[in-house]
Amino acid sequence: MLFIDYAWLIPIIPLAAFLIIGFFGHKTPEGGGYIAIIAAAVSFVLSALVGYEILSGTVAAPYVNDIVWLEMSPGVVLNFGLYIDNLSVLMLIFSSLISTLIFIYSIGYMHDQGERKRRYYTEVSLFLTAMLGLVISSNFLEMFIFWEIVGLCSYLLIGFWGFKHPKGEKASIAAASAAKKAFLVTRMGDVSLLAGLFVLLNAFGSLDFVSLFDPANIAAVDNSTLALGSLLIFGGVIGKSAQFPLHDWLPDAMEGPTTVSALIHAATMVKAGVYLTARSLPLFVQSTDVTLFVAVIGGFTAFYAATMALNNMNIKRVLAYSTLSQLGYMVLALGAAGYMMAASLAAGDVEVDHAMGYTAGTFHMMNHAFFKALLFLGAGSVIHAVGTEDMRQMGGLRKRMSITSITMLIATLAIAGIPLFSGFWSKDLILESVLHVAEGGHGAASAVFLILFVLALVTAFMTAFYMFRLWYMTFGGEEGEASKHCHGESPRSMTYPLVILSGFAALSGFLILFGFADALTFNFVDGAFVVGGHGLSMIEVLEDIFLNPFAYVSIALAVLGFYIAYRMYEVRDIEPGRYNQYGESSLYKLLQKRYYFPEFYNALALKLAYPAAMAVEQVDRKAVDGTVDGIANSITGGSQMLRRIQTGFVQTYAAFVVGGVLLVIVLIYLIGYLTGGL
Amino acid sequence: MSLPDFTLIAPQLIVLVTALIIPALYFLTKNDKVVGLVSISGVLLSGAYLAWMIIDGVSGDFLSVYAVDDFSLLLTGLFLTVVFLVLLSSLNTVERDHHHGEYYALLLTATSGMMFVACAQDLIGLFVGLELTSMSSYALVAFRKNDPRAAEAATKYLVIGGLSTAMTLYGFSLLYGMTQSTMFVDIAAAIGSAPTAGLMISMALIIAGLGFKVTTVPFHMWAPDVYEGAVTPISTFLAVGSKKMGFVALFKVFLVGFIAAQATVVTDMQYIFAALAAITMTLGNVVALSQTNIKRMLAYSSIAQAGYLLIVLAVATPYALTGGILHMITHVFMKGGAFIIVAALAYVAVGERIDDYKGLARRAPLVAFSMSIFLFSLAGVPPLAGFVSKFVLFSSGVGEPGAALSGEWVWLIFLAVINSAISLYYYARVVKYMYVDEGETSERIKVPVPFMIAILICLVAVIGIGLFPEPLISLCESAAAALMN
Repeated sequence: MLFIDYAWLIPIIPLAAFLIIGFFGHKTPEGGGYIAIIAAAVSFVLSALVGYEILSGTVAAPYVNDIVWLEMSPGVVLNFGLYIDNLSVLMLIFSSLISTLIFIYSIGYMHDQGERKRRYYTEVSLFLTAMLGLVISSNFLEMFIFWEIVGLCSYLLIGFWGFKHPKGEKASIAAASAAKKAFLVTRMGDVSLLAGLFVLLNAFGSLDFVSLFDPANIAAVDNSTLALGSLLIFGGVIGKSAQFPLHDWLPDAMEGPTTVSALIHAATMVKAGVYLTARSLPLFVQSTDVTLFVAVIGGFTAFYAATMALNNMNIKRVLAYSTLSQLGYMVLALGAAGYMMAASLAAGDVEVDHAMGYTAGTFHMMNHAFFKALLFLGAGSVIHAVGTEDMRQMGGLRKRMSITSITMLIATLAIAGIPLFSGFWSKDLILESVLHVAEGGHGAASAVFLILFVLALVTAFMTAFYMFRLWYMTFGGEEGEASKHCHGESPRSMTYPLVILSGFAALSGFLILFGFADALTFNFVDGAFVVGGHGLSMIEVLEDIFLNPFAYVSIALAVLGFYIAYRMYEVRDIEPGRYNQYGESSLYKLLQKRYYFPEFYNALALKLAYPAAMAVEQVDRKAVDGTVDGIANSITGGSQMLRRIQTGFVQTYAAFVVGGVLLVIVLIYLIGYLTGGL
Repeated sequence: MSLPDFTLIAPQLIVLVTALIIPALYFLTKNDKVVGLVSISGVLLSGAYLAWMIIDGVSGDFLSVYAVDDFSLLLTGLFLTVVFLVLLSSLNTVERDHHHGEYYALLLTATSGMMFVACAQDLIGLFVGLELTSMSSYALVAFRKNDPRAAEAATKYLVIGGLSTAMTLYGFSLLYGMTQSTMFVDIAAAIGSAPTAGLMISMALIIAGLGFKVTTVPFHMWAPDVYEGAVTPISTFLAVGSKKMGFVALFKVFLVGFIAAQATVVTDMQYIFAALAAITMTLGNVVALSQTNIKRMLAYSSIAQAGYLLIVLAVATPYALTGGILHMITHVFMKGGAFIIVAALAYVAVGERIDDYKGLARRAPLVAFSMSIFLFSLAGVPPLAGFVSKFVLFSSGVGEPGAALSGEWVWLIFLAVINSAISLYYYARVVKYMYVDEGETSERIKVPVPFMIAILICLVAVIGIGLFPEPLISLCESAAAALMN
């Protein structure tokens, strides 16, 4: 018996939990929380077993199993099925593992939410179902369906406190509008993705990964069509993974419960975009322009988002910006990998041994999942204890919350890229892969990648600074206003997941020494083009990393960031206010206002879309019954009204009909004239 | 001379005969439930016979005016489904009114008119069917004649409807004058030699006349007022039944009569339809954004859906027609379901303002859930029926799957996709009101059984078609092939 034959159960189990909790959750303890945990845990165990079979080679990757879903005219078949390879396995394992831990944590965190717990556990179970389904889908259409369910769940969960917020009416409105924003902004990306699917379906006559990634099929398709499809698909990534310029929903999404933030940022939602990029890489690499675009968007987002984290006072918002920035890193790495492959394909050289950016991007995705889940859950534990998200009111919590503070410190060390913690390994690989392209002699593109490399280095410095700033403002220094009535460490259901996650956050980086790069490969062009795996031994990997002078530059920058944060927020002998005119400098305000992006979007909607809707409505209303409505209401007699109608506005209607006929005749004539028919 | 084979139009005849029996029956019994149930039985009998015809693969030709083929059978079935749902939701709605005999009889005559349109293969048959339905629906809109809103709506509907009928008829007569035939197939053959200026005017008049039925901008203005003023089951009937009939007529005249002729001046028509589709879907969706009355909102959303369906006439391929028919079918269940819920809630004294739906999820969980499903399906959220049909319809714009990319209609499809995204906003607003907001009261609502049956049928169809669209798509494919070849 092979476990992979039961892989279809992986998303079905949480789906069953979704149904059970939805209907009977209120009759079970904790509003169905335990059912959700059990389902997630079973999914994790099954994922791990399937993962073992794939990674050990017991089952050849990719494992494909399709049933026909609908058959369209000539020979176009849309399937519904499984496509499981190393990348899917990676996603499956960390999504289900982290979700399990977050659900356990939720038992403590959501304990006093009463009746609403059922809704919470129902929605998170569906969220997990959608994410697991997304990563094992065998074609783009199926993936898109799960992709949309993920979007729906995020809407529901971000708006969880859309009514009766524990902090009152105002917070409810903020939550509701954040949910709407997340839904609408990501939906813009979804429109692009759907358009991309149309292009691909048209070009290939199929949306199955198997036939789309077949080099023979790719060769048969026009390159510009392929580039168009790739760019449209990447548009979906920009929305879901909150890349510039559709990034603005993610900080607002902090209005949801903190556990939801952890789910969205670590295990599900935003990782779907990175997954899609990695999955579609065989299509992206057909064009150097597309991959360059991917890298530029990623690199810019990494830098841009990090700047906004520098001076924010809200603990969750800082983490949100750091997610944006880290996602930018992943996209940058995948873009760099793609560019290397695209350039060598264009040169007809399929003997290129590896593009480590692919390993780097996916590796960072996994490491980030662990440390970001830990950071959010830690932040949740702090918020739970002090009742505020404002870091100025915290401080000195080190003694009162020792487990939270130590686990948070481990996560901070990991994300800052301090050697031997997980973030260090993958971040170093990303920087190296970007530099690799910059040195590769690709003309102008190399110059662009050099700029991206510098941006990434600066980002590494900023990351270390703002993360240690967060840690010291929360746990170090004097006790703040809110810290004084902190009632001690959180319950065990919350601290245990923290401890487990901190183990992963500290150690998951070492996987690179034990063949992670070889496990995460994909074959391209009949095995001649192996991405990722380069069969290096442990010593070679270590040499690769530690003999590279730039590794020390990035370590030095991280330590420098740490040191400045230490002086500013722990020793407090450097006054941060000196550098921003005590919050009055224009740069400081620019960052606080998120580069005026929300204002820009609001203005766009208010000044452009809303008046347009109003204007059209006005025309319709006025032409139809605007003038007469008032009169008509005051008249009660039916016959009198009939007279009014006859002499009044039915004429307007009729005028429009006759006008319409004339318009159609004019149009017919014009078109006939233009196309030479007349 | 032998008699024609009447079994071919037996479904129509059954409905007509039931319609004739109803007034007498009402006169005898004075019981609204009896006539309602007899009407439903008539429709079910007709449907059963139709189902047998479909399974048995019956096809043929009645007096060369009506044809029975895959297309007409499928569409006849669709219209029967519509009237079945409308009858179910009428049972309670009109119980406190008078003139039940007339109400049910008129509904059935209107339906038989639509069924004749589905089978018509010449201009006369088509026109008679159209008029039978129109006349009946004028009276149906005026059913609550003492309600000022209904009286106003009926008057508007009658005046504009009369104008449109005149235009249609004038267009038909010009066409007959030029081509010497009323059969669509012969018209297609003769069109090459017809004078272009005359054709132009005739086409414009037909577009305007039928555009009224399908609520194409700028012939749409009556729709929101009429849907708002009429009894909700009748609004349902107009939005999902009568409008579909208009599309069937457009398909017959243009796809069979004109576009098949392949004359240059005629193929240019596709651009007119593309322009109308673009304007219609955009105006419908944009105006729907700011509506506060749910029936008006659904009316504008219905105008937008008409815009999507006009894509069929722009692209004019069998694949596009497959998508169009599929969308017409799914639209019956999702829009029909939404209207039936509005009717059901109006019956239990929930208002028609969107605000009145606040907190509905607590008051009537199943109804609120169904409404959300219908609205999400209308917005095209997978894996519901609306997504499948929009997917097939929109993807036809970039060419047959697997064939070369055709750039001609990409702009239109792009616009349609953007429009779909816009529409989600106003649909989601209703869902938010139902689930998130607090209502003034949280008293439970008990919806009468006939409404619940109709709602559940729609719910099962919307989810079922979404998950297993395959059998329906192949039915639509053969229907499209029957019409266009």
